[in-house]
Amino acid sequence: MKKIIVDSLKYKYPGTDNLALNDISFEVEEGEIIGIVGKNGSGKTSLSLSLTGLIPHFFGGGYGGKVLVDGLEVRNSTVTEISERVGYVFDNPFSQMTAAKYTVYEEVAFGLENMGLPREEIKKRVDWSLQLLDLESIKEKYPFDLSGGQMQRVAIAGVIAMKPQILVLDEPTSQLDPEGSEEVFQVIQSLAQEGITILIVEHKLEKIAKFCDKILLLHEGQLIDFNHPQEVFSRDDLKDYGIMPPVFTRVCRALDIKNPLTGHYPVTLEEVTQLVKNHE
Amino acid sequence: MKMTLYVAKNSIVHKSDPITKLTYCLVAAIVPYIIPNHLFAFVIMLLSISLLLLGKVFRKMIPIYILSLFLLITIVIIQGIFHPDNVTPLFMLGPITFYQEGLLIASLLIIRIINMLSAFGVVILTTQPDDLIEALVKKGMSPRIGYVIGSVLQIIPQMSSMVGTIMDAQRSRGLETEGKLSTRIKAFIPLIGPVIMNSLIATRERSIALEIRGFNSKRKKTFLRDEKEFLFGKPYQLLLILCFIGAIIWRIFQ
Amino acid sequence: MNKQKSMWSLRLSTAALVLIPVAIGINYIGKTIASALKLPLWIDSLGTILASMLAGPIVGGLAGIINNIIYGFTQDPISTVYAITSLFIGIVVGALSYTGWLKSFGKACILGLIVGLVAAIVSTPLNIIFWGGQTGNVWGDALLAVMLKEGYPVWLASFFDSVVVDIPDKFVSVLICYFIFKGLPNNVKNLYRGGQKIEEL
Ligand SMILES: Nc1ncnc2c1ncn2[C@@H]1O[C@H](COP(=O)(O)OP(=O)(O)OP(=O)(O)O)[C@@H](O)[C@H]1O
Ligand SMILES: [Mg+2]
Repeated sequence: MKKIIVDSLKYKYPGTDNLALNDISFEVEEGEIIGIVGKNGSGKTSLSLSLTGLIPHFFGGGYGGKVLVDGLEVRNSTVTEISERVGYVFDNPFSQMTAAKYTVYEEVAFGLENMGLPREEIKKRVDWSLQLLDLESIKEKYPFDLSGGQMQRVAIAGVIAMKPQILVLDEPTSQLDPEGSEEVFQVIQSLAQEGITILIVEHKLEKIAKFCDKILLLHEGQLIDFNHPQEVFSRDDLKDYGIMPPVFTRVCRALDIKNPLTGHYPVTLEEVTQLVKNHE
Repeated sequence: MKMTLYVAKNSIVHKSDPITKLTYCLVAAIVPYIIPNHLFAFVIMLLSISLLLLGKVFRKMIPIYILSLFLLITIVIIQGIFHPDNVTPLFMLGPITFYQEGLLIASLLIIRIINMLSAFGVVILTTQPDDLIEALVKKGMSPRIGYVIGSVLQIIPQMSSMVGTIMDAQRSRGLETEGKLSTRIKAFIPLIGPVIMNSLIATRERSIALEIRGFNSKRKKTFLRDEKEFLFGKPYQLLLILCFIGAIIWRIFQ
Repeated sequence: MNKQKSMWSLRLSTAALVLIPVAIGINYIGKTIASALKLPLWIDSLGTILASMLAGPIVGGLAGIINNIIYGFTQDPISTVYAITSLFIGIVVGALSYTGWLKSFGKACILGLIVGLVAAIVSTPLNIIFWGGQTGNVWGDALLAVMLKEGYPVWLASFFDSVVVDIPDKFVSVLICYFIFKGLPNNVKNLYRGGQKIEEL
C-alpha cells in the first residue's frame, strides 16, 4: 500500500524567488525506511515540512502539486489532522520540549491531551511509547535536566504516542554526541519494526546506508534519484551534488571491488565483510 | 526550574479549591478599597493573615512583606508629612513634623496593602501553579492561554540562568559592567541582545513542535492528571462573589 | 506589501502565543540586567514592547497583562496592580507599530515619548488609589513630596512623579526595542503576524 504520494510538488517560501522544491514526485510504500540526502539548502527540510503540512499551512508561500499522506491530501487538511498520521522530529531537542510540563511522562502526554483522548487511553499510550523508547527509568525526570540524546528520545516519544503511521525525522542526531546519536538510531530501528513508515534526513551516510530501503537524493530543490542505497551511492556524479558516499563505498570504488550480485559498490561494512568472506 | 513560592504543607487551606482561593484573594484585596473604613480593612487583613496561619505558611510570607517595606515607609513619610489635608501635628521627629490626618490616611493605605499581600499569599503559598492553571482551564479559560502561563513559569528560570552565563562570558571577554553610567549603559546591549535574538528565533521551532502535537486541535482537551478533590467549591465561590456585590451596593447607597 | 490580517484579530497564531512567554522572559532579564548594572531605570518592559512591535496590540497587551499577573502571583503581589499599565503599553506600541511608527528613528523616538506618557497617565490613578500617589522610585517620590509641599493637588504631583519615572524609562526601552527589531531577519518578523497566505503555483 502507498503511504505517501508526492506528485509534482512545487514550493516557494514567502518573500523568496527561488523554488525550494521544484517539481518533486515520488511514492513510498508502507513500512519502508527512506533516507533523504542532499547538500545544505537542497530542500531536505522543506520536503520534510511538506509531509507534515507545516508547508504550506504554517509557513505560507507558493504551493503547487499534490501531497497525500496515508490517503489524506495535505493541502486541504489542517496540521492537527495530519499530525495524527505523520509525526515530525527535528534536530533541536531543546525546542521540541513543550516547556510547560514538569516530567517526561507529562511531556509525552501533551499531544494526547490536545487530541482529547480519555485519561486511560492517554496513560496506555504514554506507557507504550516510553517503553518503546526505553525511557521508563527517567519518566519522572524534568525534561530539561536530561541529556541531549534522552531529550531527543522524549521528543520522539511525544510524537510516537500520537500513533502516526509515518514518521519524518529531520537530522535527528545532528546536535547529539556519538552516544546520543547511537541511542536515537537504535530507537529508529525499533520503530521501523513496529511497521512505521520512516523518512529520515541524515548526513551520516554510513548509518542510513545500513538501514534504509531507499535513498532520496535532492539537489537545488529537485529530485535527482530515488533508489536503493547501493545504486544511489554508486553514482559517479555524487560529488556534483555535494555528497560524499559512505567510506566503504569510497574504498571499494578505489579498489574497484563491486558486489557481483548487484553490480554496485558495497555500501555497508556488513556487505564488504560478506564479499571478503565469499572471496576467501 | 520552576518559578513558584508554593510551600507544600498539609493544611485545610492547601486542600481548598484553587478557584475559591483565587476568588477570595481578589475579593479580599479589592473590597477594602470599596469600603474605606479602618476597622473593616483591619478585620479583612486579620482574616487574610489567619488563613496564612491556618495554612502554616505565615513565616514564608515575611519575605514578601519585606519586599514592600520601602513602599510602606514612603507612604508614612509622604502622607504623614506632606499630605495636603495635614493640619494637626501629632509628633516631631527631629525637625520634621508628622500630622494626624496624613498618618490616618497612611494607616488605612498600609492596612490595605498588608491585607492585599496576605490575600495573595493565601493563593501563592498554598496553591500549586499547575493546579490553579488546570482549574482555570476547566472553568473555561482557553487551554492555549493555560499553556502560555505554564510555560512562563519554566522559561523565566531558563532565561535567567542564560543571562548569568552570558554575564560571566562577556565579563571574561573584557566587557566592563562597572564604573561610569555611560560604560554601564554601553554594556547593556551586548548583554541582552544575544539572549533576545536567540530566544526570538527559537520561537519558530517551538511553535512547530507544538503544532505537530495537536496544539491547535479543535477537540476538547483532556487532562492526564487525576482529578483532585478540593474542599470548599462552588457555593463558597458564589458566597464570595455575593460579598463583593454587597460591598459595591453598600458603596453606591452610601 | 500584501494585505495582512487585521491587527485586532483575536485569532492568535501559535507563533504569536509562543512569543508571549518569551516576551515575559525578556521583561525579566531586562530588569535583572538593568539592576545588575545599577542603571537608574527599570527597563522591565522590553519584552512587552518587542512582542507588540512583532505581533501587534492584542498579543502585546496580553503579554503585558499576563506578565504582571504572573509576577503578582509568583514574586511580588504589588506588580499585579500595574497589569493595566502593561496592557496599555502593549496596545499602544502594537497599534502604532503596525501603522508605520517604526519607519524611522525619529518616529520611534516620538513613539517612545507617547508610550511613556500613556504609562504615566494610566499609572497615576492606580498610584493614587493604592498607595496615595507614590511610584516607589526615589527621585519621583522626592518630586512628589516637594510638589505636595508647594501646595499642588495630589493628582498633579503624582502624575509628575510618574512622568519623571516613566518617560525616560519607556523612551529608552522603545529605542532599544527599535534597534533590536530593525536587526531581526525578515522571516522572524513575519512569523507572528499570522494569516499565512498560500498562493497557487
Ligand atoms: N523560512 C525560510 N524562508 C525563506 N527561505 C527559506 C526558509 N527556509 C529555507 N529556505 C530556503 O529554501 C531552500 C531549501 O532549504 P532547506 O532548509 O529545505 O534545505 P536543507 O536541505 O534542509 O538544508 P540543510 O542541510 O542546511 O538543513 C534554501 O535555499 C533555503 O535558503
Ligand atoms: Mg535542513
